Amino acid sequence: MAKLKIRRNPTRRYEAVYIIDSALEDTAIAEKLEKLQSLLELTAEAEIEHWGRRQLAYKIGRHETGYYIISRFDAVPTVLPEFERALKLDGGVVRYLVSLLEHELGAPKLSDEELALRRRASDDDDDDEE
Amino acid sequence: MRRQKKPCPVTEAGIRYVDYKDDRLLARFITDYGKILPSRLSGVDARHQRQLSKAIKRARFLALLPYVKGQTAT
Repeated sequence: MAKLKIRRNPTRRYEAVYIIDSALEDTAIAEKLEKLQSLLELTAEAEIEHWGRRQLAYKIGRHETGYYIISRFDAVPTVLPEFERALKLDGGVVRYLVSLLEHELGAPKLSDEELALRRRASDDDDDDEE
Repeated sequence: MRRQKKPCPVTEAGIRYVDYKDDRLLARFITDYGKILPSRLSGVDARHQRQLSKAIKRARFLALLPYVKGQTAT
């Protein structure tokens, strides 16, 4: 029988995307973000990425633009239901998505050498087309 | 006659796991109407097609991609 694996570290890595009402002032948005993040009881600082105001691909209610914020953090799963409830009730949050961050997304960062190599390869391709 | 197998464009781009926030990449794998492009047309391998399909659906939810494209506004 397979041994039940007990995880020493109960936290998991998550990624949350918030779309906040773009009509709010930047200071109000920053305040809201801080309030939301504080609900997660994080031990380590979350990685926060501001995309800023962006056109939505379709209208959500009366909103045509939204302020996008991406946050990556390690949290204990039990705090999430309360966190998502707060997000749902918050009128300033147009939409949100919390997902498990199990894989490194996108292409791995290339070293300068690899980049140069790849650039040379694509230059060669261009030559072929001529 | 066997058709020659196309190389997977996602693998070629060096992507290990498709990012749902990369709307410019995802936009290459949807049709003019916004539907997910079948892998037999795009040549994406099965593993990446599964990732793409999930990523496109997440991106739609986050209004990074439209559910329906080319629709006239009413």
